[in-house]
Amino acid sequence: MTKQLMMVLFSAVLLMSSMQFVQAAADLEANTPVISAIKTSMQTRHVQLQSHYSAGAIGLTEDGMIAVKDAGAVPLSQRGALAGLVKDENADRVRLYKEIAVANGHPEWQGEIQSTFAGRWIDKAQAGWFYQRAGAWVKK
Amino acid sequence: MLSCASKSCVIKKSHLPIDIVVPFLLFRAMPYLMLCMLSGFFLLASPKAYALSNISMTADVIQYDDVTLSQAKVTIDLNGNDQAVVDANTLEYGTARLDNAHILLDLKANTTLLIQARQIVTPQFDARNPNIYLDYRSTNPQPSLTFNAEIKPITDTQWATFKLNCLIPAQKKTDTWHCVDGLYHGERVNIPFTIDFLPQPKGVEASIQFTQASFSDVSGLHAGEKLTGKVMLSAQQVQSIWHWKGVFNWQEGELFWQPFYFGKAGNTFDIAGTYQSPMLTVEKANLQINGVGNLSASADINLKTKAFNAIRVDAREVDFAGLYQTFIQPMAQKSVFGNLKVSGRADWHFEVKDLQPQNFELNIENANIEDENGKFGFTNLNAHIPWDYNGPKQIFLAYERGHLLKLPLGITHLSAEVNRYSIVTPQLRLPVLDGALQFKDVSAAWIGNGMVWHLQMKLEPISMNSFSKALGWPEMNGKIDGQIPLVTYANKQLNMDGQMQFNMFKGMIAMSDLRIDNPIGVGPKLFANLTMRDIDLGDLTRTFNFGSIEGKLEGDVKDLRLENWKPVHMDAIVQTADGKHTKKVSQRAVENITALGGEGTAAALQRTFLRFFKEFNYEKMGLSCQLRQDICKMGGVESTPSGFVIVKGKGAPSVNVNGFTQYVSWKDLLARIQRITDGNTKAIVD
Repeated sequence: MTKQLMMVLFSAVLLMSSMQFVQAAADLEANTPVISAIKTSMQTRHVQLQSHYSAGAIGLTEDGMIAVKDAGAVPLSQRGALAGLVKDENADRVRLYKEIAVANGHPEWQGEIQSTFAGRWIDKAQAGWFYQRAGAWVKK
Repeated sequence: MLSCASKSCVIKKSHLPIDIVVPFLLFRAMPYLMLCMLSGFFLLASPKAYALSNISMTADVIQYDDVTLSQAKVTIDLNGNDQAVVDANTLEYGTARLDNAHILLDLKANTTLLIQARQIVTPQFDARNPNIYLDYRSTNPQPSLTFNAEIKPITDTQWATFKLNCLIPAQKKTDTWHCVDGLYHGERVNIPFTIDFLPQPKGVEASIQFTQASFSDVSGLHAGEKLTGKVMLSAQQVQSIWHWKGVFNWQEGELFWQPFYFGKAGNTFDIAGTYQSPMLTVEKANLQINGVGNLSASADINLKTKAFNAIRVDAREVDFAGLYQTFIQPMAQKSVFGNLKVSGRADWHFEVKDLQPQNFELNIENANIEDENGKFGFTNLNAHIPWDYNGPKQIFLAYERGHLLKLPLGITHLSAEVNRYSIVTPQLRLPVLDGALQFKDVSAAWIGNGMVWHLQMKLEPISMNSFSKALGWPEMNGKIDGQIPLVTYANKQLNMDGQMQFNMFKGMIAMSDLRIDNPIGVGPKLFANLTMRDIDLGDLTRTFNFGSIEGKLEGDVKDLRLENWKPVHMDAIVQTADGKHTKKVSQRAVENITALGGEGTAAALQRTFLRFFKEFNYEKMGLSCQLRQDICKMGGVESTPSGFVIVKGKGAPSVNVNGFTQYVSWKDLLARIQRITDGNTKAIVD
């Protein structure tokens, strides 16, 4: 009897601990019309951003956003457009993280999704692009 | 010998050569010039003060005119090197403080004086390792003053080099000082300059010439490159009020001041006003911008709080194209007004008080506006748009003609009442083609950060023929008219009360329960129900080149949901109406319906038989689609064990069309419709 009870308890403990490991992983590739609209908007913009990444005018931040690193790399006449691109890109990124969290049914995951993406963007960045590490700009 | 052992020793001197304070900081380099000047004037007074036989003095505090020395030690050695040395813990002059000041006065050389200090601290900037060298030797044709130091504005983290050489005129109080080789140089700033400086009894006149100067803030969003120009400043103190004026003449270079870009030089800015701490009053500022015109402004600015207490801006007879490119386009880049081609003239008046817009007036004369993306355009636009915080104003807008997308707009006169943050008008009528779009009971208001509005709309009959031609659609006949009961927009949500109804093809198409979330943001969502009654199939099929069908069409789309304007949900059925009217379908239409049904759909009829007849009788035909995300579950007017019936024939000759593929992707279904309606598909009957 005691042995059976022990077995039940043991199984229960095992089950509980295994449940903790069943971590619900976020589907970062979740797709809804809204997410696909944001991605399309970002892809269109990326064509314009690419040369600014290569020139070191902008870089990837640690929190999954982009920032102006050296506006001096861009002629004065194009600085307004650059600032606009960065602002729009960041607005899209915030929306993307939020919508992916919503699509996963866990709006509260937005922060974690954002930090996962931050790493992804940097991994995917081309050589020569800049990204932030511990607040400082690093050339990839 | 004067020996001062008391705690405080005060030396008073009745005469000051020049009493000067540069009253305001209109120009970035101004604080440094100010520092240079005040140091110089202090020094000018010095030789006389120390023209004593032998002085040795220590004191906790020495006050000398506006100069205060603390923990000072003065040693004058007339017997040996004829030098006077002053060391002080701090030297304070006005708001500036020199720490660890070391002053060396060489009396033998008649006279040189060197002031060194560890740092100078002022409210606006810090300087370290300053050297102020005054050369009064008779061997020089003219005495000179040299100043150099590393300086930085208090708010900055970067140090910059500052230097300037001035020739001291014979009459220091009334002659012009010529200062050359001025340089303010740092990591993001390089301003070579010269300055001519004329002291006034109670004021100053200065003319600064800068050549190929450049500067930028850390972000690069406030920057100038290769700037060459001249700044003329003058200031006079009358009692406690400073009267000042300045002229800025910008001859070369470009300037970016987020979000504005000034690429064309040849701009002049003249400005005059008064200063009485802390208020800076700009009585008149004229900005002549190349390619735009003349803007004049006045303002009251509190320099302590940095608040603009009152601003008035006037622009008369300004070139609308230049005004748009320089000022409006950068602000409106992402909006529908961001890519316009404009011409005409504009007057503009704007007043702000205590950070609150007070009034505004924009008059546009004979302007042409054309969206480069082709979305809209107006010809000969005239507008009078006043606004007043304190009372209602009547606004008018008229144009001779225009277009919205490809829809031509006729001569239009609009008026509305604007009251603080709301705008109302009982009626707006926009002539479109041979009809008009009428807005009634229009009211809009800005509440908090959002906009709230409601309106009713009525479409006065427009001939479908011209409407379809204008939009490049297949030619249609008849007239379209309709109405929208009440539409409200609040909290980023658009809601329609009642039913929006349009009459066309002798029947009616109506939309109800319309709601749009976030219509102008990212990811808009639309919810609605649609009904369609008594649509004349003859007219419809002729229009869309489908192959003739005689009969009446009705349809219902329930729980339609669009996300980002793409359908993701609906229960739709489109079918022919029962009744005693003619029900005939042409051979070609049968082929097209078969194609619409997709693979496996078959006309249950011997092909040889089909060939003999141009048209057939039918009892009913219809298609339904239950859309869930991207998949549509198709159905017809009846179910069969293996599929559904799309066309149910009747009498002789009759035809039956059955569908077998129940699930089809929305994309494929759209592609099928596209293939059929583009008219390229020709029914081929073997």
